Amino acid sequence: MADVMAGVEQLKAAYGNSVVEMSPVHSTPRLKLNKEDVPVVAHYLHTHPSLRGALSLLWAVDHRPHEARYELCYLFTLAERKDWLLLCTDLEGDDRLFRSITPHIHAAKWYEREIRDMFGLIPVGHPDMRRLVRHEHWPKGAHPLKKDFQWDTVLERAQGNYAFRRIEGEGVFEVPVGPIHAGIIEPGHFRFSVAGEPIMQLEVHHFWKHRGVEKLFERERLTEAVPLAERVSGDTTVGHSLAYCQAVETLMQVEVPRRARYLRSLFLELERLHNHLGDVGAICNDTAYALPHAHCGRLKERIMQLNDRLTGSRFLRGVNRVGGVGIDLTHEQLTQVVTELDSIETEFTDLEKILFANASLTDRLETTGILTERTAWDHAAIGLVGRASGIDRDIRRDHPFAAYDELLLKVALYRYGDVRARMRVRIDEIHESIRLIRDIKRHIPQGPGLTLPTRVPARGTWAFSAVEGWRGEILYVVMAGEAGQIHRCKVRDPSFVNWPAIQWAVLGNIIPDFPLINKSFNLSYAGNDL
Amino acid sequence: MFRIIRKSLRTGVVTGRYSKAEASPERISPEAAEKTKPFRRSLTIREVDTGSCNACEMEMNALANPVYDVERFGVHIAASPRHADALVVTGPVTVNMERALKDVYKQTPDPKIVIALGDCAVHCGMFKGSYAVTGPVERHIPVDIRITGCPPRPSEILKALSELRDGQRPSGS
Repeated sequence: MADVMAGVEQLKAAYGNSVVEMSPVHSTPRLKLNKEDVPVVAHYLHTHPSLRGALSLLWAVDHRPHEARYELCYLFTLAERKDWLLLCTDLEGDDRLFRSITPHIHAAKWYEREIRDMFGLIPVGHPDMRRLVRHEHWPKGAHPLKKDFQWDTVLERAQGNYAFRRIEGEGVFEVPVGPIHAGIIEPGHFRFSVAGEPIMQLEVHHFWKHRGVEKLFERERLTEAVPLAERVSGDTTVGHSLAYCQAVETLMQVEVPRRARYLRSLFLELERLHNHLGDVGAICNDTAYALPHAHCGRLKERIMQLNDRLTGSRFLRGVNRVGGVGIDLTHEQLTQVVTELDSIETEFTDLEKILFANASLTDRLETTGILTERTAWDHAAIGLVGRASGIDRDIRRDHPFAAYDELLLKVALYRYGDVRARMRVRIDEIHESIRLIRDIKRHIPQGPGLTLPTRVPARGTWAFSAVEGWRGEILYVVMAGEAGQIHRCKVRDPSFVNWPAIQWAVLGNIIPDFPLINKSFNLSYAGNDL
Repeated sequence: MFRIIRKSLRTGVVTGRYSKAEASPERISPEAAEKTKPFRRSLTIREVDTGSCNACEMEMNALANPVYDVERFGVHIAASPRHADALVVTGPVTVNMERALKDVYKQTPDPKIVIALGDCAVHCGMFKGSYAVTGPVERHIPVDIRITGCPPRPSEILKALSELRDGQRPSGS
């Protein structure tokens, strides 16, 4: 805490007049600012060498019908000790304008466009005012997260086209891809501008899968929305449900039993394992090297079947509940997990030797799709994508949750930022996850797996939580409404941050390498589109 | 080289190492059986995601892994709807995907069948009624076969596909 408080003092010394109020939220310092001063303070926080705050989350809340104001919150992660710092500001009454911070902080770009679409608040000075979530056929004035917008509104169909950024000139042409792709993957649109082979520009046009998840959360009770969180992004079932549960537990002041915390870590690592194993194979497959794909597909399937045997769900659904876990494992089951993973690790080590002995594979992976450390920092890239580009952040170590405060973790870190680095991060994390699960089995305490929540949080109180899912940090902000209802739930999948970064990683590469680069990021469309 | 051969020999055949699914409660209708007749033992599938949570996609991908190896039943996954006999649609059909789904349906040559995969595609699941959802799939295009589950296991998808094959036997030559 000392470190972040020094940062707060520094901010106050520099911009004391801008700060209206200071109050911590669950041990995270929060500064309430004058609306007009947000860009300068944010700029200072982002660029000052002793602070170097990366924007982690930017969200808005509509406080109607109780108070006539919108609130904007900016969550920064400070570089040194990864402490969190919150800036907040209010838009009173009918005020719908706020000053954009995007001109100084790239990472805010999509967040501010999202806020404009969902709340109808206008980021003044934003360099890109096109719609993001609402496609052009949405009617004017439909802002789903405003409280006067009914959740089951039937939208009329308007006309309009998305204006892609265009590069024109001799020999330059555009290649549109999607929304429906050739493989079995989710829908999204990519617009390439190429001159000859190399990509000059890529524009990602997403949100085809927007299902209104955040609005649906507002219909749920705090304790009953876990199944919805599990379906934000199916491949990150445990990550999302855990992040949701933790936020609600902070809000309801529930002490999660130690055994449950260990089991949560176990399930989270199992999820990381099956996804990473699948990705290593899929990256090889995109270089037309089918053998590792077959082996990895088989190993992944073994873990999915193990999940099924343990919990009755291949995706570990129903594992997390508010207050703990819904499924306890016996000692025999834990032994079974470790035995299975031992055998998988032996097999995977064999496979690694085959992979790294293959020069043509290495040739395809090295220097392909480089995301430089600087670009990664500018876009606040996180998770395994960030760690492959030298961004040393891992929530499991920086802000331990579940049982990670009692488990020793070695964070995989590479600097080259190419496809190979992203594959290396995955491979290292596979070994680390298996080691962690062995540790969990060794140290797991006896006891209950669930504490039932009893306290109903006061209206307007809120909490946030962060979980290092297999893709990266998943953030949830949950605000309580009347009598245990949800007033607002902000969901942030790491994909939302890393999608803009991929636009920079592909520059100068050839289109046939795009599937490979995209696979090495392997971002969720569902988690991004919500 | 020797490492690869040794690995393959040690691994052996893994196809079929999964617990078989029980019979699905929903029977294939006679009309659907009639419609699948032209495809006999070869069915080319195009998968279309209209807003699923991507768990259904993962299970569809799992069908192609060595454990399930769906190609041994003559089921092939095509890269374009123009090469497909069947569309497998997942997700509750979002407002943004509605037009793309109808386009894909038009692009698929006749005769064709449509398989709604997963609870979302069949009855919108948890997303029913949302402003951003206009489904289910059958509101927009005719659906012949429904496979429920959230998500259905690969073995259950295989079972449904094999019932489809068997369904045509009595009326076949």
